[in-house]
Amino acid sequence: MRSESVSPDELESRFETEALPLLPGLYSAAYRLTRNAADAEDLVQETFLRAYRGFHQFEQGTNIKAWLYRILMNTFINEYRKKQRQPQTVSEDEVPDWYLYSKMAESGAEPSAETSVIESLPDEEVQEALSSLPEQFRMAVLLADVEGFSYKEIADIMGVPNGTVMSRLHRGRKALEKRLWDVVRSRGLVKDAPL
Amino acid sequence: MTEMNECDVILQEIQLYIDGEVTSERAAKLEEHLSTCTPCMHRAEFQVKLKEIVRSKCRLQAPDHLVVRIRRIIRSGG
Repeated sequence: MRSESVSPDELESRFETEALPLLPGLYSAAYRLTRNAADAEDLVQETFLRAYRGFHQFEQGTNIKAWLYRILMNTFINEYRKKQRQPQTVSEDEVPDWYLYSKMAESGAEPSAETSVIESLPDEEVQEALSSLPEQFRMAVLLADVEGFSYKEIADIMGVPNGTVMSRLHRGRKALEKRLWDVVRSRGLVKDAPL
Repeated sequence: MTEMNECDVILQEIQLYIDGEVTSERAAKLEEHLSTCTPCMHRAEFQVKLKEIVRSKCRLQAPDHLVVRIRRIIRSGG
């Protein structure tokens, strides 16, 4: 149902109740996309402005979270990406499945300690590992693992088919595992496996 | 089907299962396998935990001044 008949005050209060609580998640996503606070703030502000102006066209009862993230992604692609320096592409295709699990196991970490090593990393290191992924992988991993969207929602937000989401997610996660392993190793938290 | 093959099949689907992208029938099958296969269970637990770590470490607080600014924009009618 469209909400043409709703008064501007009612629309404003509905927008505040439904959209504003999603601001922290959108800011995290914006920061991950732009990789700096000033651009992230501008991107979120622009997203909310566009969303607010288009809110009368938003179909009540449909997924407002996915709708807002779609606006965020589109705004980013149209307004900010030009300015961004892209991280170098990783040769993520060479990363085998179960990369991090296998590396941790080979290093002799106790099964129970395998994830605690990664958990002990400073948040910034994990954030940096995610930020360093090529944009399309970074977006897919961000939407699935940080924001908890379903594949179908991600397909909708990114405007790509389901299969593309699955492939970007798969490759993105492997690339992230590779980065995390590099961090863990460079900090001397694990031993290299004996040859 | 040998034990090895069954594990390979299961492991291919583990990430879909963790992401909540398999049917409930398929999820029941996978859970049945995981409950009896320690190596597969370890891998599944590792990936679940990894996903949790990424989520919890990559969340940021929005700066207060941004929240205030956006609220003001909305109240002034965009």
